[in-house]
Amino acid sequence: MGQIVVGYDGSDCSKAALEEAVGLAKSFGDEVVLVFGYAPPGIWGGEIAEHEEAIAEFGERVMADGKRLAEADGVEARVALVPKRGPEALVDVAKERAARMIVVGSQGEAPLKGVIVGSTPYKLLHFSPCPVLVVPAS
Amino acid sequence: MESAAVPTPGAAAGTSPPSTPVPSSGEKGLKKNAIGFVSSVVIGVASTAPGYSLAATLGFIAAAVALQSPAILLLAFIPMFLVAAGYYYMNKADPDCGTSFSWVTKAMGPQLGWIAGWTIVVADVIVMANLAQIAGLYTFLLFGWTSAAASTAAVTAVGVLWIAIMTAIVLIGIELSARTQVGLLAAEVLTLAVFAVVALVKVYSGSAPAGSIDPSFSWINPFSLSPSELSAGLLLAVFIYWGWDTTATVNEETEDPGEAPGRATVVSTLILLGIYVIVAVAAQAYAGVDQLVANQEDVLSALGTEVFGSPLDKILIIAVLSSAAASTQTTILPTARTTLSMARANALPKSLGKVHPRFLTPHVSTLAMGAASIVWYVGLTLVSEDILFDSLAALGLMISFYIGLTGFACTIYYRHEILRSVKNFFFVGLGPFIGGVILFYLLIKNGIQLADPANSESGNSWFGLGPPLVIAVFFLVLGFILMAVQWRAVPEFFRKRPEVAPPGFLEGESEPMSGGIASGGES
Repeated sequence: MGQIVVGYDGSDCSKAALEEAVGLAKSFGDEVVLVFGYAPPGIWGGEIAEHEEAIAEFGERVMADGKRLAEADGVEARVALVPKRGPEALVDVAKERAARMIVVGSQGEAPLKGVIVGSTPYKLLHFSPCPVLVVPAS
Repeated sequence: MESAAVPTPGAAAGTSPPSTPVPSSGEKGLKKNAIGFVSSVVIGVASTAPGYSLAATLGFIAAAVALQSPAILLLAFIPMFLVAAGYYYMNKADPDCGTSFSWVTKAMGPQLGWIAGWTIVVADVIVMANLAQIAGLYTFLLFGWTSAAASTAAVTAVGVLWIAIMTAIVLIGIELSARTQVGLLAAEVLTLAVFAVVALVKVYSGSAPAGSIDPSFSWINPFSLSPSELSAGLLLAVFIYWGWDTTATVNEETEDPGEAPGRATVVSTLILLGIYVIVAVAAQAYAGVDQLVANQEDVLSALGTEVFGSPLDKILIIAVLSSAAASTQTTILPTARTTLSMARANALPKSLGKVHPRFLTPHVSTLAMGAASIVWYVGLTLVSEDILFDSLAALGLMISFYIGLTGFACTIYYRHEILRSVKNFFFVGLGPFIGGVILFYLLIKNGIQLADPANSESGNSWFGLGPPLVIAVFFLVLGFILMAVQWRAVPEFFRKRPEVAPPGFLEGESEPMSGGIASGGES
């Protein structure tokens, strides 16, 4: 069974990405793997472990919702919480599972703003081991 | 890498204590995230912000101890070093970088832990105001706009803008790549070194202005200081090493962890000590004490102009500014994490424990701190700009308090372990304890001294006391009130009992207590 990796964080654009991925998974007969990277931003120090846990808890919550959304559409879904930044987490999981493709949402930001706020598709496009599909928020 | 574990939705909402450990690979991800040698050194030095620290304090230290500044800078390192051993061992008990809040709570109970956390936050809010003041001033000096630099309103406006930008940067989670940080820090340290060398060459070649003095070994002799000079100077100098203590908690990546951990700590220490002493010697050799005191507010820019001449003097200003900017990452973010951690332990309102859904930063904490800093900065400037400089001494009191408390926490937490070996006795027991005693001595001695308004920087009198003491006491009382409010509202956290290190823990005979303090809410 092929696998389609989706970046998911509960945001509107990640929901759009999931919807698209679920549609594709159906036609390929694939399963979807929802990925959430929970490495805290910023340098070390000052209760960083607590920060990481807070992010991971948030991730668990939204990922459960995402998994349910996908399964409600009749697609098998797995969840991966990875202790890395979003783009690296996606690349790692895609490599490990030899994914058919990675699907991510796009906030539709102008390129410069994307660079400042750390656009995931922007980084992903350069490092992905497989094709990347970028879905705009509807 | 990945797990198919399905967390139960809703279970984590609101009431229940933080649920399962992170389902990635059975352990907290951070333990694997040891970082490289260079990054560890960079974190240690950048957290201390040498350029900014020197710019902010050198003039004040000279005012307190005249020619003995280099001696004070060396001496002040001793208590910090001793307590850093405490940080190192407390970090072992509560892995992956806690703060005094977690450690003091663990060792000495939730009430003292709460006050330690509160002190961290207050110290941070105050330092943001000082940072903003320096940043505002140096921004104008960078462009040579001296009339604006002399205007309190203009400097304050730019200072507020700095706080806003720094808060936004932390909020969005923008960070420089590791390589960029290494580059910036190298440039900062190099600039300070070149400044010192050029100044010294000018002194020895006789081309320094009148008032310059040849360096003398007596400058590093601490015995010529009176006790009150010593304590006032040390209090200021403790501030200059503030932040360095984080180095002790960074898990350095080494081939042989038994052999080499702490190499980065040693190197970052040598860099800092070297830079501080050399710059202090060079500055007072070149300009003499009087000029340092006269230019307290912008020592480095005033000296840079003379030593380097225009336009090279701008490099020194840029070094100070980049040092101040780097403090954003090393000051605001870790402190926002402290309030996040406190909120998750039910020691502060829950909302402060939220992370932003997109940026994953502790955004409520960050915003609250940015806002508090602006209110404090503007409010204080309206009262009197002098007081802003007085708050440096108040900061010294607060830093001595919570760092000293952390030293005691280590000794207390490991009290059953310290007789197990000579190493334990000195590094786990005695060292952190003595560090704590020195810092508390400074705290009390300076507290008494500052009861006399004449001993404060501004010479102002509030309620017949020096402003730094009033500031410190005000925040302590405010802390007790807020703690009482939280205690009444959510008593859970305050029922926790102090813990003791499991027997043989340091010899690897027992595992660390699982989880942070947040997960122990029900005990």
